[in-house]
Amino acid sequence: MTFKPLNENDVVNTRTLLHEAIPLTGSIVSGSYVTAGAADNLKVYSHGMFQTVYDYPYLSSSANHVFDVTCGVSSQSGLAIVGTGMERKKNNIYGQMAQLLMGYDVTGSVQLFDEDGDLLAVGEKMKEIFVMPFSRLLVKDEIKKQTFSMNLDISEFGGSSTDPNWGQGFAPADLITITDLNASTEYRVNSPAGDYGILYATASAPNVLDVNETNHIYAVDDGAGGTNNYWRCGLIFYQAGIAVITGSVFDSLLVGNPLADFYDGDSLATSLTDSTIDTLGKGLLHRIENIQFNNTTELNSTVYFCRVNHNEFNYSSNPTYLEDSRIRVKTQSTDEPVSYITTVGLYNDRNELLATAKLSESLKKSPSTEFTIRTRLDY
Amino acid sequence: MGFLDNSGDIILDVVLTDHGRMLLAKGDGSFQITKFALGDEEIDYSLYDKNHASGSAYYDLEILQTPILEAFTNNASSMKTRLQTYTNLELLFLPVLRLNEAISINDRTENTVASDNTFIVAVDAATEDGNGGSTDTGLAVTSAGKVRKGFMLGESLGGSIIKVDQGLDTIEISPKRRLDDDLKETSYILQMDNRLGKLVDTQGTLAAFDYIDDDNVAYYTLDLGDTFVSEITVDTKDSKEAIRGPRGTRVEFRIQSSMDLNTSSFLFEQLGALTTLADSGTTGAASNAMFIDTNIRLTGIKTGVMIDIPVRYVKLA
Repeated sequence: MTFKPLNENDVVNTRTLLHEAIPLTGSIVSGSYVTAGAADNLKVYSHGMFQTVYDYPYLSSSANHVFDVTCGVSSQSGLAIVGTGMERKKNNIYGQMAQLLMGYDVTGSVQLFDEDGDLLAVGEKMKEIFVMPFSRLLVKDEIKKQTFSMNLDISEFGGSSTDPNWGQGFAPADLITITDLNASTEYRVNSPAGDYGILYATASAPNVLDVNETNHIYAVDDGAGGTNNYWRCGLIFYQAGIAVITGSVFDSLLVGNPLADFYDGDSLATSLTDSTIDTLGKGLLHRIENIQFNNTTELNSTVYFCRVNHNEFNYSSNPTYLEDSRIRVKTQSTDEPVSYITTVGLYNDRNELLATAKLSESLKKSPSTEFTIRTRLDY
Repeated sequence: MGFLDNSGDIILDVVLTDHGRMLLAKGDGSFQITKFALGDEEIDYSLYDKNHASGSAYYDLEILQTPILEAFTNNASSMKTRLQTYTNLELLFLPVLRLNEAISINDRTENTVASDNTFIVAVDAATEDGNGGSTDTGLAVTSAGKVRKGFMLGESLGGSIIKVDQGLDTIEISPKRRLDDDLKETSYILQMDNRLGKLVDTQGTLAAFDYIDDDNVAYYTLDLGDTFVSEITVDTKDSKEAIRGPRGTRVEFRIQSSMDLNTSSFLFEQLGALTTLADSGTTGAASNAMFIDTNIRLTGIKTGVMIDIPVRYVKLA
């Protein structure tokens, strides 16, 4: 007999979550690949709706898609979009992202991005947003909750728009760290795009973010009689793999430190009204010092327990097993037969080989040994 | 594929085969794992030294050091040799498959492997017999009407028959002894490239394949009692028998050339080459011919015995 049937006790299904750490340094995002004043790893499109960041010049087959960046302005924003061309597309982007990620209210109206995810309350809405959809290559099935972190320089623009090699100075005092604080236990499920968490900014220096803006503050007991203040600044959609950052982190009239020069001499408000999505995207990309998160891959596995009893599989049909039909490993008939297992083949009823498994070293099989080989197929 | 790291714990490298993935994609329920088998294709049992001076712990030292390759995804490349279960643990002999090249079918055909150690299938009428045997323009049939040794007529389905015998090929046991039922093979799987040829029985009846895998390899199941498999009843020493000891069953078949080979030279150009073959005339004049070399694999389902039969498809250029 060559085949041994697998019965119901030999097959079990399991589910495993696999995580990988994804570090994206700012040098990947901007500054590393420049030719004649243009960033080779940044792909821009004639439609001007978004830009794509690669980890290598995108014309190379070695390049991997890392994330996209775009910008949206709600039609309910107080900012009046100037122009009728590329500039207006920010409204379209906001509408598209909001209906996809926030869904509709009972009247069928698209809901705005909400700062704290409490859609029923009249809370703060994010009407000017930067959107960063991460590629599936990095996100896999989803971003792991409470692992997202992004360091962002929110200081004044410090270079030339014609020099893509330019990056902010990333001085510690200018950096904010955006994280999905406590998101493993405090995430929201009222989005049509799956779970999402609130992004909070922590400033390395107190003057970067205005702690008097209590509407945005999330105070957490530090366990030592005081509080740690975090500033709500966006949402992260875990299954969709999309981070939404409010424009307020750079230039809100509500906070006390508005930027006079977000990009190329324009304040963020001016950029949002007058500039193209590409221009806004460049302003953001040059400010990213670091992004990090863990992804999640959901592995559904079927484990086949291949049980090899003492009286089974002790002979071989390997041509070298015989010499003139006589078994090489025996001298006389009463000697124990031995064989060596290197491979497990999994078959269907029609004897079609569906999967193979290789052992890293051969297993000696004789009537005095038994094995259970645990063979796992992941889907 | 690289070797698996065998410096630490034993690990298991599992992959779906390409055929398995194809069935999974079909979604028709055919991807249903119901049984397993164990293989040992890397093992060279001739390294087993049962006379090692240092004792039994050293008998299989070299075998256990055999490096193992990562799993192949090609279904036809894996599990070629399988471990067997026999309830009798005192067996000293196991059956084999032997190509039987000794039996004359009739006066025109002798089932002998051709000079290139391969069966040759003439894929069309012109290659078989240029003009009905009146002259010797073809490769397979002489002007005397005889099919040359080792030639099969892929269009008219005559000529040599491939015969494979199963049993204990040893002189230590008399053929008079009956082969145990456990050791007698009753079902075979035959694999052949479906682009090149089809399986036919000795009467020229086309066999139905079980399935064709992603590499165009057709799988046929042949059972004792059908027109392909029969019991070997001769139990005496006989020059026409390939098995010297107790005999089991015999598989006989011919090959029909595929329509592609019969009507076109495309596959010859893709998969084959050009050679010069002596034509069937008495002068032995050379003819240019295209050829494709392939193997047909026959495997016993119960005993796991296996043989690869070389076949060459030829077509006059």
